Amino acid sequence: PPETHAAARERTRSGPAPVTDVAKLCVCDLLVAQCDVNCCCDPDCSAADFSLFTTCSVPIVTGDSHLCSQKAAIYSLDVEANPPERIFKLIDQVNPSVFCIYAANYKQALSFSSPEMPTSENFDQLLKQFGSASFSAEPDRWNVNTDAQNPSDANETYRYKYGVPIQTVDAFLRLPSPVVSSWCSDANPAGFLVNQATKCTRSVSVEKCGNIQAVSMLFYINSSILAVPKSSQMVNITVQSIVVQSLNGMRTLLNGSDVLRLPMILDELCINIVLGVSYHITYTDTGEIIEAAASFVLGAINKEALSVQQSFEISFTQVNTKPVPLSGNPGYVVGLPIRAGFRPQGYPFPVEILFAALNTNKYSQLTILQSTSNQDCLAAQGTRTPVLFGYNMISGCKLRITAAMKCQPLTQTLLDLLKGQSFPEYVASFGNSQAQDVLDWVPITHLHTSEQSDNDRIYNTFQSSCQIPVSLEIEVKWTKYGSLVNPQARIVNVTATITTATVKQLPSGRERTIPITSSVVFTDISSPAEPGYKAWPTIDVKLPFDFFFPFV
Amino acid sequence: NSNQLSSVPLQILFYVNGIYYIFYFLATLAMIIYKSQVFSYPDEVLAPDLALLFIMAILEVPRLYLGSKGNLTEEEAPLGLSLVITVGSVILSAYFLVWQTYVLKADVIINAVLLFTYGLESVLKVIAIAAFI
Repeated sequence: PPETHAAARERTRSGPAPVTDVAKLCVCDLLVAQCDVNCCCDPDCSAADFSLFTTCSVPIVTGDSHLCSQKAAIYSLDVEANPPERIFKLIDQVNPSVFCIYAANYKQALSFSSPEMPTSENFDQLLKQFGSASFSAEPDRWNVNTDAQNPSDANETYRYKYGVPIQTVDAFLRLPSPVVSSWCSDANPAGFLVNQATKCTRSVSVEKCGNIQAVSMLFYINSSILAVPKSSQMVNITVQSIVVQSLNGMRTLLNGSDVLRLPMILDELCINIVLGVSYHITYTDTGEIIEAAASFVLGAINKEALSVQQSFEISFTQVNTKPVPLSGNPGYVVGLPIRAGFRPQGYPFPVEILFAALNTNKYSQLTILQSTSNQDCLAAQGTRTPVLFGYNMISGCKLRITAAMKCQPLTQTLLDLLKGQSFPEYVASFGNSQAQDVLDWVPITHLHTSEQSDNDRIYNTFQSSCQIPVSLEIEVKWTKYGSLVNPQARIVNVTATITTATVKQLPSGRERTIPITSSVVFTDISSPAEPGYKAWPTIDVKLPFDFFFPFV
Repeated sequence: NSNQLSSVPLQILFYVNGIYYIFYFLATLAMIIYKSQVFSYPDEVLAPDLALLFIMAILEVPRLYLGSKGNLTEEEAPLGLSLVITVGSVILSAYFLVWQTYVLKADVIINAVLLFTYGLESVLKVIAIAAFI
């Protein structure tokens, strides 16, 4: 929305105003609210401090010396006096050269221009203009002595990092994928922690049944995976399950899955052709692969088949966690469901603190009522739709109140309708929040408001009134987190507001229709980016071991 | 020689003006080059200064020629035209004195001398025209 952009621009900080008065400018005043030693222009110093100085580190502060006449502030110490005192003189300094600037009609000439502050609008353009290669601060790379480098390399252990190709004994773990056309290419390595799913076409024929490597199970589980790059620790790929698909598409799960089934010709069909492989890799949080399993879908082709479509997929699970589909890594991705859960009983006792982040169980997600074609609230089957990040939703139904309805059961029914059977208590702040990281989960705040004005409330206390919930509004406040180049969405606050309205007791035979709504709103409360400054580089100086040779 | 109406001081002044202007032009050009090296002098402010200097040099030639010719042939028309061009030269000299991007002390000195010369010339031209009519 345009108004938030303008507000963001106002909030953008600009640099401090330039100081041009020579009497107020002090270069040696570094400590705030404290007297700097030997700094005669420091306003924080008192006369007693000045009497302790030995010299003035900044004797003169002038403007641009090219000007013919400029103001100068001269600081000096009068050591003759007892106690020594500081002398401050403001004079007009004259430049005797005939080429001094008498007047300058170009205002920007005599001062530095303020640099542009980066905001989210101009960041990309500034990065293109001023961004360039930066130097790495790791001291290991500065080691000029290559002999000394090798022993340290041998001790250094490599770990898998995100995106690094998974190495096997001979090459890389392959995930065949289509390159330019839809034909399979075997040169696509699987990246660590990169969940991929690809589909491609492989050309086959019944005659060459046993000869085509890529349709045989052996090709995919042959080479073992290295647990860490460049090591000799190997992890064998085990066969987790085999599903056999018949020619008409029916799939059957086989019981014994430890038998390797190679393609062979049977009744003019080539059976045991690999139609799909699904790798499941288990890793530790130190970047080591400890387990690898593959599930196969085997099929059959007949004489007329010239090509077969293969699908491959790889997924990564951290050891000792249940695989939960991520809604983003780490920030939420627009369109993926919000992860929610409950706190188990017994918290905060330091037992297994696990949130039931059961995204696999549809009914524990954050859901809202789904509008159906039949708009009657009470006849709705309770269909609910999950709340997807970034998608504002509104839904509702119409409630028909008759005279016979009792207040309390109606209130309870409507609350169930609006909130669902198991409304979660906590929402994950990041798309990849693990259940065991308690601080990564945001509690849902519940608010109750009432629709009526004060007058009505006073009036109604004298009548029997019924407060029924008529709307549920879930407001999810999220912020951009991390670097400006790749901001991640993070949920900060979730508020569920139930609005109640008064329903007066109807005379018998009459009925009334009330609309019931539920909505989800996502609000971006990111604060504008603050420029960060890199830390000063540190000087890492070490004397050689035998520097003090004769004496040590 | 009492029939001679041509003004001798004016002619001398034209001669001196010509020589001084060559010096003025070279000095101002050199100082603009110096300023562009030492100070921040972007193209958008350098171009007008250079352009006006060259325009002034181009105006000076007909100005001195017409003035000298008018004075020697005792005609008012060229002298009057020269006076008109002098007005333009005065404005340009005032620009270099006051409104230039960087006005150095040397600029002030040579422009002041040039303006004084123009002023004296204008007075003598008016007197000469009055004598010719």
